[in-house]
Amino acid sequence: MRRLTEIHKVQELVFKLKTPDAKASEVVILSPNTMMSEVRSILKRNKIAAAPIVADKKVLGIISVNDYINWLIAGKEDCCVEKCMSLNVKFLYDDEPLTDAIKSFERYGFYEFPIINRKTGNFTGIITRRDVIMGLLRALEIDYHEIEISSYSGRTFFHDMAADHTELMLKFSVEGKNIQHGGDIASKLKKNLHYLGLHPDTIRKTVIATYEAEMNLIIYGGGGTVEVLMDADVIHIEVKDEGPGIPDIQKVLQPGYSTAPDWVRELGFGAGMGFTNMQNCSDTLDIISKVGKGTTVKIRISLDPEKSIK
Amino acid sequence: MASLEQPILLKDIQKILSADVILDEGWRREKIRRVYCSDLMSDILSFGDSSSLLITGLINPQTIRTAEMVDIAAICFVHGKIPHEDTIEMARNNEIVLLSTRYSMYEACGRLYCAKMSKSVDLP
Amino acid sequence: MKLSEIVEKLGLKIRTGGGKLDREVSRGYASDLMSDVIAHSMKNDIWVTIQVHLNIVAVASMKELSCIVLINGKEPEKETLEKAEAEGIPILVSDLPAFELIGRLYQLGISGKKNGQEENA
Repeated sequence: MRRLTEIHKVQELVFKLKTPDAKASEVVILSPNTMMSEVRSILKRNKIAAAPIVADKKVLGIISVNDYINWLIAGKEDCCVEKCMSLNVKFLYDDEPLTDAIKSFERYGFYEFPIINRKTGNFTGIITRRDVIMGLLRALEIDYHEIEISSYSGRTFFHDMAADHTELMLKFSVEGKNIQHGGDIASKLKKNLHYLGLHPDTIRKTVIATYEAEMNLIIYGGGGTVEVLMDADVIHIEVKDEGPGIPDIQKVLQPGYSTAPDWVRELGFGAGMGFTNMQNCSDTLDIISKVGKGTTVKIRISLDPEKSIK
Repeated sequence: MASLEQPILLKDIQKILSADVILDEGWRREKIRRVYCSDLMSDILSFGDSSSLLITGLINPQTIRTAEMVDIAAICFVHGKIPHEDTIEMARNNEIVLLSTRYSMYEACGRLYCAKMSKSVDLP
Repeated sequence: MKLSEIVEKLGLKIRTGGGKLDREVSRGYASDLMSDVIAHSMKNDIWVTIQVHLNIVAVASMKELSCIVLINGKEPEKETLEKAEAEGIPILVSDLPAFELIGRLYQLGISGKKNGQEENA
């Protein structure tokens, strides 16, 4: 259902968008006095195949790589582009829909078209094939965000499975002190939860809680494991390490309490908000720890952001 | 954070901050509605608008990860800082735009704040 | 502009250093990284940060900053407050988020530039 909606949107956009919505932001034009000998380097430097010759805002002609090659082969003297340019310029009006641009690209096989204002006849820009794609993608993004929110149907992967009960277990291991990879697991989890079709708010809470727990594992716990067990109603996250353990659990739950060394603070961590953030993002949070043995943090989050499992 | 009365285009922000573009996945991220500034991960984790810009002095990979967790669209580093290649790659994979301004966080925020207050984006 | 004027105009709460608010300030600095503050802040700067731990007083003292302003209504830690008292560094608190507070300070004329020139890279 979701894919069909997306395809319709693209079709609508293709008809709705006008050429100026897509046109290139930086335009290379030539003056009539530009010399043919300069053309090659201008085209090459800007990675374009042709450039219009513009004077007084009017397009006088167009010079392409082919024109340059023909001039070279003919062995003519150096002259200004005005003498060698193509006068038969194919252009697009700025009020034409993007579909016309696409058709023109197909029909003529050119790489770019100048855009002309229909009323004044003035040159207003250039559109290339790449610009068409970028314009579409940009427009899609504006709608994509709305699609994301509006297409959340309440039906996740778990509802789609034909079974009395469905569970999914994701296991990750985390290396201690390997701060380069801090957050990798939360990142993977985020993509997975997105794939499973969970509500954006649930995904956000789950990844923030996991991220904080993961960083704790790396910075303080000496590494460990993260296990995420999900069913249609609850996400259970269990983060375990065999590190030094927490002497006073009540203290670490206080916002701002931190034992972070300076190097940790210089990386933006150690504000002592880790467990507070975990608490704010979870329905239940349990910390089991023994000094010298290790720590286990258990988090539960309801899949339905409207419901809570206290 | 501060909500902007009208969204600012990323390219205007780039002008106001005289910023270099380190990574432009720009077709996705054009309009900015909120601006945050912070060097503290736990603070950044409390931000939450996907059309937002983060101004920070932190260039380690976790900045990208943290931004990813809360769907930040673009990050501008201050003091002309530029992150490591691997960090830039991480941002590319998450389609986060990266900018770098030579201004300090204070100066960058001050300029942006004033720009959004006035109609035009030209600063004296 | 005097610190006391800024306190009044922006509704800042004074946590310590009430006696030092007649200082003139013209420049501001914002960062939560001690290394950046040490590298880039200047004497007499008004320092905007979210950090509340003891180190902020040491850094403010070392760089002779005029005061520390905490954002988001953050309160300094007990030890931080005590040290600030001892060192004579005012600590002020604003309920505003960083971007907004900096913006308002900027509008009052507290810029981030050096000596009226463009900041160096």
